[in-house]
Formats: sequence, structure tokens, C-alpha cells
Amino acid sequence: MGYKYYKDNRAYIDALLATGDAVTVSQEVDWDLEMGAIVRRVCERKAPAPYFKRIKDYPDFEAIGAPIATYRRLAIAFGLDPATPIPEIASEYLARTSSTPVKPKVVDKKGAPCKEVILLEDDANLLSLPAPMVHDGDAGRYIGTWHVIVAKDLDTPLVNWGMYRQMLFNEKTMVGPVLPFSDMGKIFWNKYVPRNTPMPFATVINPDPLSAIAGCAPATLPEDQFTGMLMGEPIELVKCETNDLCVPAHAEIVIEGEVLPNVGIEEGPFGEYTGYRTSPREKRTVYRVKAITMRSKPIMAVSNMGVPTDEGQLLRSFSLALEMQRMLKDQGIPITGVYMLPESTHHLVVVGVKPIYANIATQIGQLVFGSKLGPWFHMVLVVDDQTDIYNKDEVIHALSTKCHPVTGIRVTEHGVGSPMNPFVSTDERRYGKAPKVVFDCLFPYSWPVSEVPVKVSFNSVYPKNIREKVLSNWHSYGFKE
Amino acid sequence: MATWDTFVNVEFKDLQEDQEQITIIRDLTPGRGKYRSTYARVKLSKDSVRYPETVWIRLGKGQLIDTPCSMHIVEFIDVCSESQGRRD
Repeated sequence: MGYKYYKDNRAYIDALLATGDAVTVSQEVDWDLEMGAIVRRVCERKAPAPYFKRIKDYPDFEAIGAPIATYRRLAIAFGLDPATPIPEIASEYLARTSSTPVKPKVVDKKGAPCKEVILLEDDANLLSLPAPMVHDGDAGRYIGTWHVIVAKDLDTPLVNWGMYRQMLFNEKTMVGPVLPFSDMGKIFWNKYVPRNTPMPFATVINPDPLSAIAGCAPATLPEDQFTGMLMGEPIELVKCETNDLCVPAHAEIVIEGEVLPNVGIEEGPFGEYTGYRTSPREKRTVYRVKAITMRSKPIMAVSNMGVPTDEGQLLRSFSLALEMQRMLKDQGIPITGVYMLPESTHHLVVVGVKPIYANIATQIGQLVFGSKLGPWFHMVLVVDDQTDIYNKDEVIHALSTKCHPVTGIRVTEHGVGSPMNPFVSTDERRYGKAPKVVFDCLFPYSWPVSEVPVKVSFNSVYPKNIREKVLSNWHSYGFKE
Repeated sequence: MATWDTFVNVEFKDLQEDQEQITIIRDLTPGRGKYRSTYARVKLSKDSVRYPETVWIRLGKGQLIDTPCSMHIVEFIDVCSESQGRRD
């Protein structure tokens, strides 16, 4: 018996509509910028997800925008109450993903809705899909904004699902960056390219929400098994038409083909998760399409990267922080929690710790920057166990009062970084380099107790009996809240 | 005649004019095929009527130059022959 979850995107949309976390857009919308503009405004206002029923030029399709761009929608994806606080959603994620890996179950094509329509050879035409022009000024229509790309190691059974943007180039061609430090990048650049061998792929657009969450997560095991852990039972997969990869059977649209080694097509610019168009227009990885399979009346997905908060920022922040928490605890670091602010476009992480020895903040920075998670962020802010890491007011107070501008800021040069970092130089961007920084917001361990400043707050400077008296009399004093 | 656009990796003042160059151009004809890309050998001009095709120029971060240019398409080029060599 699994956890409560949604087996497909349609049941998930119904759940969002029922709680008011999605709205049905019945009037026709244009795939050329209008859908993107709506989704962008939704992200910036944290509004309900738009469920588009009619798309210009594509009467046989629907679309969902910003599917998991709020913590409410994330809670719903986990089958939780939409008002569940972030720490409780985090606990649910950690509890589910600390269990035994759950291997997927391969089902027959008849039991796979994503095979209701099968297009092969010339019929597999990317222009037949309502790929949105997401932002004005993008280099093309981005067909892959909310999806997982399935790939397999050339020498081992290792399967990877990841979310790597894909731009429609022409009827049969997509292009997008596959960064060498990403999981798929390691497989492609390390194994397929040196042997000049095309890499089979399957792009799964609009899978069930937990598969998408797994695709975003920096998991340390194959994402099909990770999804099973999130579901509490095996995910149902079905074999592709033109290769041996398996894809979520209940997905909306699947594009199959090959990633070509040693060729590249100029890709970008694109409005990115940092809130800017940053990465240079360069020759990027080329995908050649062999087949498209989909459900009847398929539902396209539109994620719109830009200023916070979109689902990439939210989910990546959520899962990066929790995988970091898992790693730091495994290393025996006395942390109280890890939270990455989505508003930082997953660049800034807050780590709470019991400061029981000197330079513990530096050690935390070295561990997280040195891990496989490191390239995706560059700021670590370490606070003590009395600071609520989820409370931005408390975190800003700790940063601005406890971090020494000279001795508390530790810069590391020569880190691995994303070319999408807006602040780096052209050279750093081109070669994926980035400096890193730790903000040590702990009073030095060497200070004697008599010298440590005492925090002045309601909870810290009044005796318990006074606090209880004030709280119990609060309304009788005349306060409403 | 279709309307096209293309991205250039230089400042607009440095646009290479009246010389053949290979670039990616996008067809802006409305409909399902809008933004379909293709490699082509072209000549560009800031003079909007020098060549038969209208082309809009975008800079490297997508900034649109707000006056149209013109373009002569010498030939379309197969994507496979132009895509050799790459980096991510």
C-alpha cells in the first residue's frame, strides 16, 4: 500500500482545482507568448496554476502552467493538506526517501495511457506539439520546461531522470545544454561522446507530480526507484517504441530519439531560473526525434523560469536543502536543519547548527560545496540552533549582527559553478567556474560566556512565568492577534 | 516573402553587412511553424530595403533591435553539416 499520491497529472489537476490551487482558463490562449506571460504573472503573484483548455493552433491539446510553483501545490503533490508547513513537508520527503529503494514495475502497452497515440517516422513532428514561446527574446520554443529526460549509462544498468531544458529547433530536432557536472552530463560526456555513440533518450512531458519532483531532486539513486520511494509503491513504467528505455506509463507526452555525440547547434538565450537571460548562445547538445507517443487530448506543461518563484526554484531549493541535510547528518555534523530560500533561486542555503566546536561553519561550507550538490549554489549561511532557519526575519537579523565582515566571510575561489550564474565573468561562465562564500553567523567559539552578546527577544530574556502570564492574558490586554 | 529573425553575438554597430555568412534564421510566419529554425548562408544589411527578405536582429541576450533589417538568403544549409563541433 503506497502513500497518498496522484498517479497521473490529471488526478493532480483535479486535486488542485478542488482546493482552489488551480483555475480553469476556458478562453483560447496563444502558445506564442500569451501562455508564457500568464504563467509568469502566476509565478510572481503565487497565484493558482492555470489549466488552459483551448490553445491557438492546437485544438487537440490542453496545458497546465506552473504546476508546483507554491508550497501549497507541493503539499498537495505529496497528498498532504495544502496548508502543511514547509518543515512538515520536508519531514515527509525525508521519511519517504529514507526507506528502501522501490524498483519500478514495467506494464504492458495496453495499461499505459501514454501510448494512446503513437507517432513514428515523419509523423513524429515536434511542430505538432504546442511548445510554448515562453518569453519574448528566447531563442526558440521550449518544449521541455517541465519534464524528465530518461537516459541510461552505456556500460551499466544505471538509469537517470533529469530536467534539462530543450528548445525546439525544427520538426525533428531539439537542442539544449547538458552540463558536464550534471548526472546525465556525466553519462553522456564520459561514455557516449568518447565512443561517438548516440545516446537513446526519452523526454517525458508532464509526468505525474512525484516523478517530476524526483527528476528535479539531486538523488543519489536512480530516479525511477526514488519515485517509488516517494509513492510508497512501484511506479508503473512502459517500454519506449524505438529504444529500450522505460518511461512513466501515465505521462502525457513522450518524445523518443537519440542524443547526438560530437555535434552542436546554437541554443539560447533563454529566460533562466536565476531571473535573467544569462548563459551565452552557444553550440549545445542535439536531440534527434524518432517517435512521439501521448495520451488522447494530451496536456502540455508550461513552466516559466524567471524571477521567483517558479517550480524549478521551489523544488530544486527544497530537494537540494534536504539532500544536503541528509549528507551533513550522515557526516555527524550537529545540524538542526537546512533550508534553501527559493527566492535566492537556489543560490543561498541556510544551515542551522549547534556550535559545539570552532570553525564548524567552515567545515559545513567545505562539505556542501565539495559534494555533487555544490555546483548549483554558492552562498552558505550558517546560523545557530536558536535561529529559525525558515524565518527570513531571524536569518537576516543573524546575518547582519553576527557575521563579522572580515573574519566571518570565507571566500573560496575556483569552485565549480553553473554557466547560468548572472554574476560571474564571461570566462567563468564559459567554463562553469564560480567562487563560493560561507557567511559564518555564529559568535566565535573562543569567546568566553561572559563576552557573548545576549539576544534580546520575548522568548530569550523573560522568565518562563512572565512569558506564560503575558501569553495567557494577551487577549484580555486588548490585543486581537 | 516570409519575415525572419536572427541572433547575433556582436553589438549591433558591429553587424557584418553585405558579406556571406552562415547563421541560424527563424521563420516568423504565424502558425504552427512559427520560430522554426534553419541554418542558411545569408547576406545582411541594416538598410531595410537593400535585400528582398525582412529580418529582425536580436542580440545575444535576446534584445530586439527595433528597426528591421534586410536579408538575402543565398542558400539553406542542412543542419547536420553545420552542427559539427560543439561545447556545453
